[in-house]
Amino acid sequence: MLGGASALAGCGQADVAQFRLNMEGRDPSFAAYEKQAKEAKTSEESKKFREERKAAIANEKVREQLVVDLLTAAFGTPDAPFAPPDTGLDLVKLRRAAGPTASYQSGQQHGLYRKHCAHCHGISGDGAGPTALFLNPYPRDYRQGIFKFTSTGPGAKPTQADLERLLRDGLAGTAMPSFALLPQYEIEALVEYVKYLSIRGETEALLNAAFENEELKSIDLKADAAKQKEQAVALAERVKSEAGYCASLWIAAADNIVEPNQEAIPPFLPAEGTAEWLASVERGRLLFRDSKTANCIKCHGPTGIGDGGGEELFDDWNKVKPANTKPDIALWLLPKQELRPRNLRLGIYRGGRRPADLYRRIHVGIKGTPMPSAGNVLTQPGQIWDIVNYVLSLPYEASGENRQQPATIHTASTAQTSP
Amino acid sequence: MGRFWSLLFLLVPILGVLCFALAPALGYWLPPDISEHGHRIDHLFMFCLYLTGAVFIATEVVLFWFMWRYDGRTNRDPVKFSHGSHNLEIVWTIVPAATLLFIAIYQMDAWADAKIRTPNIPATVEVTGRQFEWRIRYPGPDGELATEDDIFGVNELHLPVNEQIVLNLKSMDVLHDFFVPQLRIKQDAVPGNKIPMWFTARETGTYEIVCAELCGWGHYKMKGRLTIESREAFDAWLKQRAAEQKATQ
Repeated sequence: MLGGASALAGCGQADVAQFRLNMEGRDPSFAAYEKQAKEAKTSEESKKFREERKAAIANEKVREQLVVDLLTAAFGTPDAPFAPPDTGLDLVKLRRAAGPTASYQSGQQHGLYRKHCAHCHGISGDGAGPTALFLNPYPRDYRQGIFKFTSTGPGAKPTQADLERLLRDGLAGTAMPSFALLPQYEIEALVEYVKYLSIRGETEALLNAAFENEELKSIDLKADAAKQKEQAVALAERVKSEAGYCASLWIAAADNIVEPNQEAIPPFLPAEGTAEWLASVERGRLLFRDSKTANCIKCHGPTGIGDGGGEELFDDWNKVKPANTKPDIALWLLPKQELRPRNLRLGIYRGGRRPADLYRRIHVGIKGTPMPSAGNVLTQPGQIWDIVNYVLSLPYEASGENRQQPATIHTASTAQTSP
Repeated sequence: MGRFWSLLFLLVPILGVLCFALAPALGYWLPPDISEHGHRIDHLFMFCLYLTGAVFIATEVVLFWFMWRYDGRTNRDPVKFSHGSHNLEIVWTIVPAATLLFIAIYQMDAWADAKIRTPNIPATVEVTGRQFEWRIRYPGPDGELATEDDIFGVNELHLPVNEQIVLNLKSMDVLHDFFVPQLRIKQDAVPGNKIPMWFTARETGTYEIVCAELCGWGHYKMKGRLTIESREAFDAWLKQRAAEQKATQ
C-alpha cells in the first residue's frame, strides 16, 4: 500500500512540469462495475455491466481531458502560471515563485516554490511531494483551501500576514522549517503562489463536484465541433466564476480577523508567584477540566499530555480516506494518517507561543482538525486568557507533583508563601 | 620527447604552489577571523600547511629528478638491483612519526582551550538543531535556561561583541553541525547531548551560520544568521523579542 502511494507520487516527474489532476478517491478503472459483472446472475447482465464500465472509462477520460484543458486555460502551467484577473493575484509575484529554480548575477532567485517548498508540498500543492510520505503530520495539501493556524474566524482563510508569519517562524513540532532569512519580497511571492495553488485546487474541486452532482450533466462530452465550442465557452465562464468566488474568500479574510478580547488580561509568565497570576492559572485549570464549557481534557487529557481521547482522531484531509487496510486507499496519494492531540507539556506550540496565538487557537479552534472553536462557549471576559495562562504554565509545572489530583496543586501552596 | 613526462609532472608542484600563493589575493582564502581565539586556529592551520607544503615540494622534486635522470630513452646506465636500505627506511619512518607526534602535542593546548576547558559562566544562549532550522532560546532576565522567562527565536541569533559567550548546542533529531567560519568555531550537534561552545567575537556584523553535517534532504536550506552587536543593541533586541513573545493582540 505504501508502494502504491509512492508509485503515484512518482507520476508527476515528466520533463515538463505539469499540475497533477486531482484524482484522489476516484477510480478511473471503475472496478465497481467489474465486481457487479462478476456477481451478476446471468451472462447477459454481466455483459451489460462490462459495457457500462467501458463507456464509463471512456467518458471519464474525456472528462479528465476537459478538466485539464479548462484549468490550464484559466491557471496556466507550473512554468507559466496565470490567473483570471478577478482573482486579484499578482502575476509578477507568481512568476517569480513559479518555474524551474534559477538564480541571476543580480542575486535574484527564481523558481522559489520548487527550491523551498515543492519537495514536501508537491508541484501541484497537493501536499504529496517526494518527502511527504515520511512526515507526520503530512505537509499541507493546499487544494482544500483549509489552513490550520490563522488569525481569522472559523471557516475563514488566513490573512496575508498569517502566512508570512508562518513562513518566517516555521511550525515548531512539524517538518515545516523557518524561512526567516528569505527577503521580504521572496516571502510575499511564495505566499502569493500558495494562494494561487489553493485557489486553483479549490476551483478544480468545485468543477469536479459540479460534474459529479449532475449540474454539468447536460454537457455532452461527445458533441459535434460547434456544440463543443459553445459548451467550452460556457465552461470557461464557469471556471472563471468559481475561481473568482474562491479568490473572494481570500480577499474577505482580512475583514474576518478575530481580535483577542483586551479586557481582563491576566499577567502571563514570567509573572509567576503573584497572586493574580496564580488565581488566573487556577481558573484556567478549572475551565480546562470543565466538561460543560472548554472541555479541553476530552482530548488533551486531565494532565494535558494529549492522552484524553479514546477514539481515533483524523483531520479533514485524512477523514475522507478509507482505512489503510482497504484496497481503495491506493486511490489516494498518501495513506490515512491518525491525528494525536497535542501534548501541552512540551512547550512546543505549532501555531505560535504568544498569548495572542494561543487565544486564537482556543477561540477559533484549529481549522480542519477536531480542535473546536470555543469562542461561543467561553464568553466571559478573561476566560480564554485564563486557559492560555494555564496552558503556558504546564511545561513548567513542578516535577513530582501529583498531576492526577487537581485539588493539590503547587500553585495553591506557593500562593500563601508568596509576598 | 622522452623527458616530456617528467617536465609535465614538474608542473604539479609548480601549479600547486602557485594556487596557494595567489589564492588570498583572489579572495579564495579563509574568511576574516573575528574571534579572539581564531589566530591560534589559523596559526595551527598555517603551520601544518607550510610543513606539508615543504614535504610536498621536496617529494615532487625528487620524483621529478628520478623521472628525468632515469628516463628510458636517454639513460644508458646498467640496471642495478637493490634490496633496499635499512637506514633509509628507519629515517623515513622515524621522521614522519616524530613530526606527527610533535603536531599532536603542539596543538593540544589550543584544542583544550577550544573544546575542554569550558569557562565556568552561565550559557548566553541555547541553540538546537532541527531538520532544517536552528531553534534558539535565551535564558531571559533570570539568566537561567529552561525557565519561564526564556526568550525563543528561530534562525536569527544575536550576540554581544567583546564578551565571552557560552553557547549550548543541542539537536532534536539527527546530527547537525554548528559552523561559523568567521568565528573559527565548528561543533557537531549530537542528539541527546548538550555540548557547550565558547568564544569571544571582536567585530560587529552579520555572519552566516551553516549546518556542516549532512543532516537530510533539506540540509542545504539549514542556514541561520548571526548578528554580533554592541551590548546595548543586544539588550534592546532581546527586550523587544521578550515583548513580542508576550503579545496579546
